[in-house]
Amino acid sequence: MDETIKNQTMKKSFGKSLLYTLPMFLLTFILLTGGKPDFSDRAGTYALLTTFLGLNVLYFLMHFTGKTDKLRAVLFIVFALTLSFTLIKNMVDLRHTMMYSQADILECKMPFCHLVIPMLILPAAFTQSIIYPGSILQGFASISSMVVLWLAASLILGRGFCSWGCFYGGWDDGFSRLRKKRVIRKVNDIWKWMPFAVLLMVAITSALALSPTYCDWICPFKAVTEFEQVTGVESAAKAGIFISLFGGLVVVLPVLTKKRTQCSYLCPLGAINTLSNKVTPFTVKIDRQLCNDCLKCVQVCPMFALTKEDVEKGNVSIFCSKCGKCIDTCPNKAINYGIKGVPAGRMVKFSRNTFLFASFLFIAVFSAGSIITVFKSLFNLFI
Amino acid sequence: MNKIKMTTGIIWALVCLFVMIILYFSLGNFSAGLAKLPFMKLNPNLTGGEIVQQRVMDNCTLMIRQPVFDGFLGERRKGFVQIDWKGNIPGKIRDTIDYNMDSSPDFIIGIETAENTANLEALNPVVRNIEISTRTSFGWVARVNIINEK
Repeated sequence: MDETIKNQTMKKSFGKSLLYTLPMFLLTFILLTGGKPDFSDRAGTYALLTTFLGLNVLYFLMHFTGKTDKLRAVLFIVFALTLSFTLIKNMVDLRHTMMYSQADILECKMPFCHLVIPMLILPAAFTQSIIYPGSILQGFASISSMVVLWLAASLILGRGFCSWGCFYGGWDDGFSRLRKKRVIRKVNDIWKWMPFAVLLMVAITSALALSPTYCDWICPFKAVTEFEQVTGVESAAKAGIFISLFGGLVVVLPVLTKKRTQCSYLCPLGAINTLSNKVTPFTVKIDRQLCNDCLKCVQVCPMFALTKEDVEKGNVSIFCSKCGKCIDTCPNKAINYGIKGVPAGRMVKFSRNTFLFASFLFIAVFSAGSIITVFKSLFNLFI
Repeated sequence: MNKIKMTTGIIWALVCLFVMIILYFSLGNFSAGLAKLPFMKLNPNLTGGEIVQQRVMDNCTLMIRQPVFDGFLGERRKGFVQIDWKGNIPGKIRDTIDYNMDSSPDFIIGIETAENTANLEALNPVVRNIEISTRTSFGWVARVNIINEK
């Protein structure tokens, strides 16, 4: 275990980086192939190998360059794009449209996503039942498997789930990187409390209606996944809300503010994950001995997790999603991944390596299925 | 005290790392375990309730489900009864339904499947209107709104 080392770089030599990548290489190979690689389908084999190598190159580069955020963002954004593509492809294959019908709801055939989880809690406690028309255990995106994945990721990564696991977050993360400079410079960070209000509202209304009201009326990502068949004024209004919120909070505001506004202002699951930051052992620490209060970290934080007061105290707030942007930006290397209980500036390499391994393994395996599907579709076009 | 905090933090981090490594290997078992918990079943408002009567007909089977009045806290005043037709659905459906099994018919439902039109003849004052009538992958489903008599 390393002692306090001032201003240390996270860069590693080529050989050391390879060594650190080896366990990820083995684990992702076993998990992606199921331990029994099947190379009978050429397009499938190329897709699997491309995804597998791509993932491991990213992880290798995280060690080799000592940088996190940009490399994470590549995978995070690719995950969001490929998952939407995969979902749409699945729906078009099954239903010939992105829209779902009343029959799909009646037959409980809706794929489940983690954003529904906040609305399930009260009804599960009071009615002993699940209020989402999906499959409990069988088929694509079952309720059980998604809840297990989210629970584990939230326990281990805290709000890190929002930057290392959420398959929608890549959308506004991507749009927030499009411009070099912010157009809207001053954003009141009081809005970061808004997801708690949304959480309260959707939890209560969903319990009373026994229907997931966020999915029915608010979710911006319906615009890039599936939405109710437009059959009347109500369904047309819903489609309008989905598209407007997607356009406003996922595209326009992130481009103008360079912040992840959907995640920071609306997402009810983000509110729960904020609380899970209290449980996770991993955090981001500011070494006050190295910090020169330039506040560049406050400017670049996409989740409103850092204020001047937080920097002065040497702690990030509970809104931190551990994306690594502040860490990569800090000119004095004063910010690092840390473990709770361990003072800032101590065991920084161990903390970073442990956090990166856990978080990267989660997103690598979680995203691989949809990335392979997209690559396979592409290879099928050319082979 | 600081050493205890530090050691606890490191142990907790290593436990989390271990959980992450076994997570995907054991996802099937964890999910199956979760699915066995008492609250992991779909609400009757979604499934339509349990099937309580079945009538085998020439081309299809008529299934009448238990009326659903489930609310967040107790039963609601308004609910529905769901009727499923499974199999080859004829162009015209006309069935008399006694959903509460009191030997007196509650309503007659008529459906023209080609035109997707439905009509309801209420024989019991608690029967209100047709909420849903739609084709499904297995046949046809109709939900008829009713008032809770309790």
